[in-house]
Amino acid sequence: MASRPTVTVHGADGAASNDTHPLPNVFKAPIRPDIVQSVHTGMAKNKRQPYAVSEKAGHQTSAESWGTGRAVARIPRVSGGGTHRAGQAAFGNQCRSGRMFAPTKVWRKWHQKINLGQKRFATASAIAASSSAALLLARGHHVSTIPEVPLVVSSSAFGGAIKKTSAAVALLNAVGAGPELEKVKNSRKLRAGKGKLRGRRHQQRRGPLVIYEPEKDGKELVRAFRNIPGVETSPVYALNLLQLAPGGHLGRFIIWTSAAFAALDTVYGSTTEPSELKKDFLLPSNVVAQPDIAKLINSSEVQSVLRPVKGGAITKRSHVQKKNPLHNKQVLLRLNPYAKAYSKEGLGHVKANEKPIAKEAAFEATLHEN
Amino acid sequence: MSTQYENISNDLLWEITRSNSSFLVKRKQAGGVQFSRDPMNLVNKHSRKYEGYVNEQAIGIQPDSNTIALTTKLPKRANKPAKSTQTSSFNASTPSRKLYKSIVNSTAKKGYRPDLRAEAVARASAIRQSQRENKKDYDKKLRGSKARKAELKEASS
Amino acid sequence: MAQAKKHITIVKKRTARFNRHQSDRFKCVDPSWRKPKGIDNAVRRRFRGTAAMPKIGYGSNKKTRHMMPSGHKAFLVNNVRELDLLLMHNKTYAAEIAHAVSSRKRIEIVARAKQLGVKVTNPKAKISTES
Repeated sequence: MASRPTVTVHGADGAASNDTHPLPNVFKAPIRPDIVQSVHTGMAKNKRQPYAVSEKAGHQTSAESWGTGRAVARIPRVSGGGTHRAGQAAFGNQCRSGRMFAPTKVWRKWHQKINLGQKRFATASAIAASSSAALLLARGHHVSTIPEVPLVVSSSAFGGAIKKTSAAVALLNAVGAGPELEKVKNSRKLRAGKGKLRGRRHQQRRGPLVIYEPEKDGKELVRAFRNIPGVETSPVYALNLLQLAPGGHLGRFIIWTSAAFAALDTVYGSTTEPSELKKDFLLPSNVVAQPDIAKLINSSEVQSVLRPVKGGAITKRSHVQKKNPLHNKQVLLRLNPYAKAYSKEGLGHVKANEKPIAKEAAFEATLHEN
Repeated sequence: MSTQYENISNDLLWEITRSNSSFLVKRKQAGGVQFSRDPMNLVNKHSRKYEGYVNEQAIGIQPDSNTIALTTKLPKRANKPAKSTQTSSFNASTPSRKLYKSIVNSTAKKGYRPDLRAEAVARASAIRQSQRENKKDYDKKLRGSKARKAELKEASS
Repeated sequence: MAQAKKHITIVKKRTARFNRHQSDRFKCVDPSWRKPKGIDNAVRRRFRGTAAMPKIGYGSNKKTRHMMPSGHKAFLVNNVRELDLLLMHNKTYAAEIAHAVSSRKRIEIVARAKQLGVKVTNPKAKISTES
């Protein structure tokens, strides 16, 4: 590609302005759903809080086994008398009011360490994937009304201008995110299961993610956007994979402010220049430069080393059902091209009406000569 | 190209979304059948050929109240979703043959997804069929003991 | 409603159930099939006169597998939107309305199915009332 592709900056009214911005290098990063998924699974675990059953549960009795010879199982039994509890089995996981099997411990491995390089790779990959309209659609975002992907809205529309939620909603509607907001609003459903009782009462879809530059756009917009269902905000310097690829699925609908979009090159650098903000970070480059298989196969490099197709356009089939040429005319014609003319002339029905050639008189005489 | 940089191709998109996407409808019945809700998918089948979003060119035919809307993708505007499709709609009064002809003329005849010619016509035809006045319900012809009972009832009344 | 596409006759190689070994002798042994694993088990060793065990040879022809007697395959449908997927497949698939769908929505689904020419396997469930 000779010139770097550019992205139009859209105004507050959703109309394309004359400003354009070259597409930052991070959008060139390889799309790796496998890496994004594994990093996401790890990161999603890092907000967990330890839980466990009581250390003492099921062991607060002085039960002892009765040993053999009493015609009962050798499980420990509660000692004493005068109560129903005496003589009942205890401790075992199969026992009533025994401890559970393998009691949970607070020192379970709750959090996952993920290599920094992998995390950065996954983030870059998720950002790059957000520039594909098809992936946004496949993730379920209603983006068929937005003017462009990636969607960049001029910082002048944000910077201080958006303080109220009503203004934020108006802006989102102006850039064509209305159907997406509507989808999120209608998606709020009661969660199935016990989560309802544990502070996770409802489930709803994720809407657009607004990424801003905190110094240039200010932080007031965070308050303006935070009460719109499904809309999330994130400063461009602290992007989070859990927001960029929710559920580990690539293609989050992102609305960039132009300042944040401009900052992407300083945050991520390129494949050759290291990032200014991330230490020792070069953008990953694609292992396969050409992901389009059809283009690869049809390229002159591949085609030139392939042997030509054998047999031309029509290839002979190996297994065919045998057709009876006496019934199937096409097969007959293939075997006997003359058959057409033969039947057309009606030669099969013509009687041989030629008279036998008159023999010479001497012939007859010679034949019967005895 | 689905993006402006050459790191995403339709083949890659297909590999990413093949096992999981918002369009995909999976069932365990019938040997794990997979359908697609993609409006640009002519036969609602989840496959590389028919899925609209993994092909640069795609045809969508959808019922639209009493009309039929033909949508085609414009490959050059792939990253401008609001303008990336072209829609033309056909009246309910358009004769069916004319409808098929104009669908084919505006797509397959122009070299736009000629492989989908039959599917496009079939879908338009199926939609037309569904928009027709319903055939009325016929009374089930009773057989055996039910028929005899009904006859008795009729005779007594 | 559309007739199913023409197909070869559906052959079920076996219609009887495979009952679990000894489920006929004890009430506590459920008849649902469990493969006998015992070292001396006569059924497992396929002795003459013992019960037949399931095996791949009982499988149906691939062309008629999952087919209902009508020649359709069932597709579970929760709403009208899912029913619309069958527009182009009304000769191979029949809609089966999920059990949790209310009678009001069932009526909508059945009406739409009629327009699309899709067979519904359970059109009368929850709709018909006792009269």
